[in-house]
Formats: sequence, C-alpha cells, structure tokens
Amino acid sequence: MKQEMDTTTLWMCDKCHEALVLQKVHVRYLEGSFEVELLKCPTCKMVFISDELAMGKMLEVEKGLEDK
Amino acid sequence: MDLDKLLEIGNQCIHLEPPTCVASCPVHMDILAFVSEIEKGDFAKAYKIMENKIPFSRLIGKICDHPCENTCVRKNLGGSIHISELEKTVIALGYVAPKKPFPLPKTKGNVAIIGGGLSGCVAAVELDKKGYKVSIYEKTNRLGGSLWAYEGKGLEKQAIEEELSTIENKGMKVFYNTEVSEENLHSYKEKYDALYLGTGVWSKAYDINPYSFQVEDSSLFVGGKLQTKNDSVIFSASSGKRVAVSIDRYINKTSMLASREREGIFETKLDFNTTHVMPLKRVEKTLQTYSENEAIEEASRCLKCQCNECINACVHMQRFSITPDSYIRSINHNERIILGTHHANAMINACTQCGLCKVVCPVGIGMKEIIHETRQSMVERGKMPVSAHDFALKDMQFSHSDYFSLVRKQPSKEASKDLFYYPVIAFSAYARGLYKGSGKTGYLFYPGCQLSSTHTEYIGDIYKHLVGAIKDKDADNDVGLYLGCCGAPADWAGRLDLMPESVEKIRKTWEEMEEPTFILACSSCAATFEKYLPMIKTISLWEVFEKYGLPEVDIKKGKRELCIHDACATRHDSKVHESIRSIVKTLGYSVEELEYSKEKAKCCGYGGLVACANPEQAKDFVEDRKHESEHDVLVYCAMCKDMLVKGEKRAYHILDLIYGQEQDQSSSQKMPTLSERQNNRKHLKQTLLKEIWKEETMSADETYTFTLRISDDVKELMEKRFILVGDIEKVIDNAIKNKERFFNPKTSDYLARLRLQNVTYWVKYEENGNEMTLKDAYSHRMEVVEH
Repeated sequence: MKQEMDTTTLWMCDKCHEALVLQKVHVRYLEGSFEVELLKCPTCKMVFISDELAMGKMLEVEKGLEDK
Repeated sequence: MDLDKLLEIGNQCIHLEPPTCVASCPVHMDILAFVSEIEKGDFAKAYKIMENKIPFSRLIGKICDHPCENTCVRKNLGGSIHISELEKTVIALGYVAPKKPFPLPKTKGNVAIIGGGLSGCVAAVELDKKGYKVSIYEKTNRLGGSLWAYEGKGLEKQAIEEELSTIENKGMKVFYNTEVSEENLHSYKEKYDALYLGTGVWSKAYDINPYSFQVEDSSLFVGGKLQTKNDSVIFSASSGKRVAVSIDRYINKTSMLASREREGIFETKLDFNTTHVMPLKRVEKTLQTYSENEAIEEASRCLKCQCNECINACVHMQRFSITPDSYIRSINHNERIILGTHHANAMINACTQCGLCKVVCPVGIGMKEIIHETRQSMVERGKMPVSAHDFALKDMQFSHSDYFSLVRKQPSKEASKDLFYYPVIAFSAYARGLYKGSGKTGYLFYPGCQLSSTHTEYIGDIYKHLVGAIKDKDADNDVGLYLGCCGAPADWAGRLDLMPESVEKIRKTWEEMEEPTFILACSSCAATFEKYLPMIKTISLWEVFEKYGLPEVDIKKGKRELCIHDACATRHDSKVHESIRSIVKTLGYSVEELEYSKEKAKCCGYGGLVACANPEQAKDFVEDRKHESEHDVLVYCAMCKDMLVKGEKRAYHILDLIYGQEQDQSSSQKMPTLSERQNNRKHLKQTLLKEIWKEETMSADETYTFTLRISDDVKELMEKRFILVGDIEKVIDNAIKNKERFFNPKTSDYLARLRLQNVTYWVKYEENGNEMTLKDAYSHRMEVVEH
C-alpha cells in the first residue's frame, strides 16, 4: 500500500503529549500484509489514520483484497 | 455449484439470437448493423457490412430476391423494411472500389471450378481467399452465367465486367470455351484435390449431401442451380459459399458436418415482442432509388429485433450492460478463477434477487436463484467480500439479540382483569378480546424487524386491534406477539450458515406454542417463511385486515389517487395484491396501476442487500421507480418506503393510510437513521412489555458521562458510511477513559479510534464540558498493528 498522506501533522498524542513521527507500521487485512510509513506516537505507538487515507487508499486496498 | 449446468442455462438465453430477416437470408447478412449504419448516414460502412457476407455485393445487392423482406417483423406493422431498396441506395452512395489484392501464396491445394456462373465465381473467390489454387472451366467465352440476364435490367454491363474481372486479377486461372462433361470428369478428379460442379445443367443427377453438398465421400461437390433447384440469385451465392466451406474441410480432413446446422436459412428462436410497437408506413421512393434521406428514414423504421426483455426491465442489468448469456459466463469465470481478481463480485452483489427477469423472459431464465447460489458458493469458498453485507448481518444479529427479540402469549385473563369493567369493556374490543382469552395461541403476530424499526408507533396498536378483531370472531384462538428477524438478510447474503439461528428459533417457538398461524407484515418475511419454514402456516396482515376488519379509521370517500408499488417479494402472491387494493379502496383512495406491478413488480433497490453492498446501484432502482408515475406511491413493505422516501419520492406505507398518518404534501418526509432504527426496536420491545404485558424492564440504553451533538451533515456521512451512534459513543468513551486520542492544538479537536470487532472507527470531535460535538467519523477494516 503506497502511502498517500502528510508526512507531518498538527495532531499530537493526547496521552503522551508527543509530536507524531513517521515510522514503518505493519498493517494487515485478509491475506494481505504490508509495511507502510505512517504517523505515530513515538511513546505509546498509537497510529494516526486520516479520513482521506481511511476512505481513500485504505478502502481501495481493502476492496482489492476482498476481490482476490 | 454446477457450473456446466449453469452454462447450459446461459446458452438458452436468446439475447444474441438473430432476427428473422438474418435467419431467412441464405448468406446471413448482418441486417441490423446494416440498417443501423444507414440510420447514422454512414453508407460506406453499410456497404462494408454487405460486402462482408455477400460476394460480388455490388452486383448481387441490386438483384437479390430478398427473402428477408418476407419474414420482416414490421410486415404487418406498416410493411416490411425495404431492405432490397436500401441495398441499392447503399451501393449508389457507399460503394468503394476494392483495394488491389495482395497475392498470397496458394499452397493449400488445387481446386477446379466447373462452370463459371454466379455460384462458381462465388466458390472460386471464397476458396481463393482461403488459400487454394483455383482453376475455372467455363464453356462460354465469359464468366458470370445467369448474371448477364440482368444486363440492362438492374445491372450495367460495365459493373458486371469490372466485378468479374477481379477473379483473374486475383490470379485465378480461367479456361474459357472449355466444356467439361460427365464423360471426361474423371480426368479432372485425378488432377485436382476437389471439384466444384456449378454448371446449372448436367447430364447426371447426383445424390448430394444436403449439408455439405458432397457427392458420397468423393472429391466432387455440387452447387448452384443443380443444388438449389431454383433461380434465386442469393440462394445460388449461398450455395457457392457453403461448398467452399465443404471443400476446405474435405481437403483439411476435418469434420464435414460439425456445427453446420445454421448454414443457409434457419429458424431463429427469437420471437420479438411487438406489443408496444406502433405501425409505421413504409417510406416510398420518389425517384428510381431511395434518396439519402429517404433511406435513412426507411432504415429508422427497423425495429432492430433483439430480445432485450430483461435488460429493458432491470436497472441492474442496465448498469452492468449485461444479459443472462454474458452474465452467466461472467459468473462461470468468477467461480473458476483461482489466482487473480474476481471482477464479477461487485456485479453479483448488485442484483436485488427480485425475480423480475424471469417473469419477463420469453424462455424463463431467472437470475434470482443463480445469484443466490453464486453468493452461497462465494461464502463457502471464502470469496465473499466481507464488507458487502457486514453491516446488514450485524444489524440482523441485533434483531436476534435480547434488545429486540421477544415472544409473548396474549396477556392472560387473570393478568388483565383490571380492564374488565365498564365502560372500558364496552368500548374496547381489545379488552373484550383479552376477556375471551383461551390460553391457546392460535395466531402469532410477527411484524418483522424492518417495520418495527421504521413504523414502530403502529406495532402496539396493530397488536391490540388483532386481539380485539380476531377474538371477536374466533374466540378459541388467542393472538400472541413475536418480535424478531426471519433471517432474510442472511439468505440474501448467501450466509446459509446463519440461517438456522433465525429459522430454528422460529420453528421451536411455533412448536412450543402448538403451531399457531403467523401473521406477517413483511413480504420478505413471507418469502423467507415459505422457503425455510414451509411447515408454518402464515397469513399476511393485509389479508387479516380484510377478513377481520380494519382498525377504526376515519374513512372519507374521494381521496386522491396513488400508484401502488408492489413489494417484489409478493410477486406471485395475488392474495396480497388483492387485499392491498381492496384496503386502499376501502380507505377512499383511487389506484393508478403501474406497468410494472403485481407479478411484474420492480424492486425498490433494498432487495438482495443491494442498498448495503452497492448503494449506487440501489439508487438506480429508486430513480427508475420514481419516474414511473407523477402520483405519490403507496407501499406495503417498510423497506420500499425507506428507499423511496430517501430517493425523494413521496411514499406512504399502507399503515400510514390506515392510521391516518398521511402527511400533508408540503412537509418533507423523513426516515429514521440506522441508529434510530436500532433504538426504535429496543424501545418497541420495552414499550410493549410495559404497556401490554405490564412487565417493567431495565433500560437497555447504555449510559455515558457525555452527550453527543451531531449535525445533519455528519449524520448523513455516518449513514453513508454505515456508522452507528453507538459505535461513536464507544470510541469517545474509550478516548476519555484511556486517553487514547490525538489532540490538535490549533483547532482544539480530538481524534480518537477504537476497534470494534472487525472495524476500526475514528471520531473527530470537540469537547465542551460534557458535550461532544462530532466533526467527522470514518472507519477502516484494515488492522493497524500498534507496537
């Protein structure tokens, strides 16, 4: 899954009060498994997914995998 | 799934069956395409289409005896399309001299053509095209034979000479003034791989095979007038073409007879439906041939006969521009594919399984059962896209849960005794019904999940009415109540594994209650009962109303006209159609019958869970339906109303009319959201338990420390994305409790996520004390590993 999102963001982790950093994240769905660069909290590791990513590229990949 | 059997069904589809004109043309000119090009004004292309099937089309096109016109479907509807005249105009306006032939090596064999008349010339040209070395033996000093009889009578000398000269230009050898006879035929047989005899007259009458025109199994083939036994130009040309096929097969040693049933004229299976065709008079030519405009006008009269009955009636087939023949091939491919994308998934999940195609199909092919079986197979093979039906199936689980599911016998006489006093007992049929309580449940009112979700307010009243009305006439039988889901969503989704959960519970309840008759208010429930619970006797609520009387309503005669949108699941249930119409008339409305009604009912788009799997396709169904009439629509299925109202067509459920809730026409109609539907079911159960069975229950609503504020825009987004308020609440609750959220210092918004079962929900919100204002909601199924 190609990454299509901002590499920086104003959003920060509310628990850790940390700015988010771009890191490799493991995502999986059905038989598919990928490494993608996403913004996440460096401390608690919570990953940030925007509306555009979820309803755009992610949805497209999900549908693609469902039809495999 | 038996795919071979399925393909056989697909082969029965007559969508691609040729029209009668093509079937009665001995060379099968593509008349549909020919006429269509003329209509577009492209005469050159029309000529190309002629040339494709008719050899020497510049000549034959002018003198063809056009058997096609005798069978034209327009014949008695203004006169057959004047194909022969159109051909003349096309030759005049669209003839292009052929390009100089590029000589190919002729290595496939040597063939002698005996007799250079029309059929011989045709056979020669066809064999030359196939790569044979052709020699023509002609007893006179010119080719063409009977063609010359038309010189000055339709054909010009120059055109005949030009066309026939192509034979020698292509490199074929012509032996003029050479007469071959029965006596010296054997010497030709020895010299050539095959012989074609097309001399018109011959001393010996050979016995020829009617399909291959072969003499026994020899190298001799007979065609032209010797075979056709008539003077027809086009039959003669056809004969030459067919012999060329036979000689090619003979020399190549392939089957002489395989797949030749449809050579020459044949009977088409197409029986074009002319019910809606208005007569239109044939265009008369003002000069010797049609002018360009006259030809275009005449061509436009052509009905382009093709069986499109199903696709004309179904917006699903229209969206995918597919008919059962190609649809079934796609399913076959989709089922067999092992590696790669299942491209037909989206299409298979966009059929509403309404069954209309089968009703309109002249050969009775129905996609409903095929789609059902296909979805079941996809589920079994683990190839059904999860997202397609996930929401609907979860909603079904909700209906199965204790939030909604409820079975109660009629309140007992003992428990109801505080109602049995004057004046209640005198004025309330319900109280009298309870007073007559027998303890034996003869009827179980089963309103179904969707009616309970969207027309919640009527359920209690209907129940009380049923108790009063039925007990009045049938004192032995009490009326119980059963809230639940019949399992139709699982059936539509091909999830047969989920059917027992719905069906078994119903069957057990039915047995425990000594086999009561189910009173059904939903047509999909009725279809599911018929399919999975055939042992249970059912009756529609509408028939009960007709038999035992309507709830007391204010009936005024002369109300307006409504069109009836029948529920597609009742297609074959004429009793329901009659009851509905009778009730509507009793209530004082008049009815406009739509073209697609009763057994030809069209689906609202909800069927087959299409509204869930493919909302765009579902919209097509509503759009199609809403433009069928100016009048407001009357429905008797809760989902039909939901779909039509959401599609901005004013629609009333028959219960709206019965209970006088037909709103005034100026106010807009609104249907409950997905979340409200679940809440309505929850509250219906609690309300009924409290009001009818006097049972107090704990509130089933979750309580949170915060309240939500959701704008209409966000609500609409949530509906589109199948996100429930309950999901949002869980996300925010978790965000507050565990601080699992992001914060945007610039906007002061929070963004939180929580995975619930197989979906991660995201909520963007603003916090104002205890009030959370929603800004956005979205979800994904993909799992993000956080560590």
